[in-house]
Amino acid sequence: MRTELVATVASLPQAKALLEAGADRLYLGEDYFGLRLPHSFDLDELAEVVQLTHQHHKKVTVAVNAIFHNDRIKKVGNYLRALQAMSVDEISVGDPGVIYLLQQLQITIPYIYDAADLVTSSRQINFWAKHQATAAVLAREVPYEEMVPLSKAIKIPVEVLVYGATVIHQSGRPLLRNYSNFVQEHLAETDRERGLFIAAPHHPETHYSIYEDVNGTHVFANNDVDLMTVLPKLWQLGLRRWKLDGLYADSQTFPQIVVAFDQARQLLDQQDNSVSLESQLQQLDVQVTHNQPNGRGLDLGFFDLDPNEVK
Amino acid sequence: MQNIKVKHPEVLAPAGTPEKLRVAIDYGADAVYIGGDAYGLRSRAGNFSFDEMAAGAAYAHERGAKVYVAANIVAHEQNLAGAGAFYRHVRDAGIDAVIVSDPSLIETAITEAPGLKVHLSTQASATNYETLNFWKNEGLERVVLAREVGIDEIKEIRQHTDIQIEAFIHGAMCIGYSGRCVLSNHLSLRDANRGGCAQNCRWKYDLFDLPENGQKRELMGHGPDGQLEKFSMSAVDMSMIEHIPDLVDAGVDSLKIEGRMKTIHYVSTVANVYSTAVRSYCADPEHYQLDPAWVDELWKVAQRELSTGFYYGVPDENFQLFGKRRRMPRYTFVGQVLAYDKASKQVTVQQRNNFGIGDTVEFYGPNFAHHSQKITDLYDDQNQPIDRAPHAMQVVHFTCAQAVQPGDFMRANEN
Repeated sequence: MRTELVATVASLPQAKALLEAGADRLYLGEDYFGLRLPHSFDLDELAEVVQLTHQHHKKVTVAVNAIFHNDRIKKVGNYLRALQAMSVDEISVGDPGVIYLLQQLQITIPYIYDAADLVTSSRQINFWAKHQATAAVLAREVPYEEMVPLSKAIKIPVEVLVYGATVIHQSGRPLLRNYSNFVQEHLAETDRERGLFIAAPHHPETHYSIYEDVNGTHVFANNDVDLMTVLPKLWQLGLRRWKLDGLYADSQTFPQIVVAFDQARQLLDQQDNSVSLESQLQQLDVQVTHNQPNGRGLDLGFFDLDPNEVK
Repeated sequence: MQNIKVKHPEVLAPAGTPEKLRVAIDYGADAVYIGGDAYGLRSRAGNFSFDEMAAGAAYAHERGAKVYVAANIVAHEQNLAGAGAFYRHVRDAGIDAVIVSDPSLIETAITEAPGLKVHLSTQASATNYETLNFWKNEGLERVVLAREVGIDEIKEIRQHTDIQIEAFIHGAMCIGYSGRCVLSNHLSLRDANRGGCAQNCRWKYDLFDLPENGQKRELMGHGPDGQLEKFSMSAVDMSMIEHIPDLVDAGVDSLKIEGRMKTIHYVSTVANVYSTAVRSYCADPEHYQLDPAWVDELWKVAQRELSTGFYYGVPDENFQLFGKRRRMPRYTFVGQVLAYDKASKQVTVQQRNNFGIGDTVEFYGPNFAHHSQKITDLYDDQNQPIDRAPHAMQVVHFTCAQAVQPGDFMRANEN
């Protein structure tokens, strides 16, 4: 099976660039239904990206992974019908209410289960598989050592974040506006573009991005994930659906990061033994680092953690 | 005219230990929730062995109460083995239901411990009726709603599903959607979803942006008192004592009190207040009145400011801890009544914290019985006069004007 690269989309022109860069699947959606997206696409904009992507014989996944309250779950049915009508290839789902609706409304769009940090075991993934999930997004808090037994037990593919920001907190409260109101120095903007971040006590060098939108307040890990140098380990386990999340990437240079991962993917899929894989990946990683926005670090996240280190 | 009574929902109290379980039920709780040795989120609460579960369930059932076991971790690969046996032991101990969040553990409980009832934990953040319908189809008995759900939303949920609904009415709150927070994992290497939460949300953070010049810039402001205020994400606690009719009328089946880590003083006080208020309302809704003494009573065990959470809208800055803390009235559990002699008006007390002559103590018992007493004399178990009772579990007696009951608790104001 060919390794699949999934990339988030920030605009129609970027979609074109990402497809040309080697993305197999584009991930996008509207803030009202999906979480932490680089751009909120309305249905018309979405249709344009779907059309373009299908012209390239590539696929589209639309985010329907919000935590829905009553007011919004009511609108999900029509939204799903609209997505089905435009031949969207897959949706992401994190709220079981959406799975219930898919069944009730007999909507046949495949879904990938994505509940952020909550998807942590093979047995849970197989639970969603029994409920017709065709894939699941693995929590970023699952270290490699846990991926090994997990990869052998799962009945559907998992998607692993190989590049990008990791969410570590979602609040239903406007935490930035509440703070701003208390100190009476109103932050005029609290959205992602505002570029706010917090540092932990006694660790002034840390950088946890934070923003507010219609889904509440989101906080992200200190560094963005970059698994370039350990891709062979993922590939060996058969975990070959790789997500690149450009939420905090520079929208101009993000396709270059996709290019780097596309080259890595080709090296692995073609099993070309004539080159030193390790040094090639090191070089491609330089390309990733080079295109990484100023002020944002990169690391392996929880990948190389000993599971026993987490108490 | 005949009074219209309404079905009274369950008051569900936390019980970290077998003693707290008995006290919570004695003080009016209709049900308690406890933790086992595994799969619970309160790894540091006093957890129950299977024998203790069985004894607790028997104690509860004799009094018409129920016991639930919280087994609400989000399991990783290495946590899966043994879950089926765990749930069978829980079932066989006579536990009335398990509270579970991880779908894999829900499936294990249902398939490997047939007959055991399952409740969805608040950690799964259920916020709409279609989600409740999903879990109803899975065979669950009850869903604990996310703390982000408002009263009007509960009413609407009630209209669209008949699965039992449980909602938090008192105690500490997560600032985020429960389960959707791994601050603790990333900042302290402690898994919030496996009992390790380090409460990093309550830390004080520096807030920055990064202007064009690439130099990060501090954005902190000053509170009304002129003091620098760092960014924080700390929620005040919840209390719905003033809104019991809204909760009952919305159709909530179980009213949940947070706090398996809390003291016996807290558990007895809070269970007492809410069971009294709920029974009072349900017995005669038309003439129900909030007793201000209930509110005062809850403040005696409060650790933070109290609020109504999301029940009446999205919480603003007043629902978070900023600036100087209001000084809480602080009461300490100082003793428990062993006996009372009506002829001599002598109460015999087992000491739990230092007290003595000159202190004003307050006795409280089930059904909201209260009595305040200034201590003017004090004797040890040899009948020798003493000034203070400094020793743990020391048995002493003193004059108390009003009759109190064995088992009643005695508290003193520290301030």
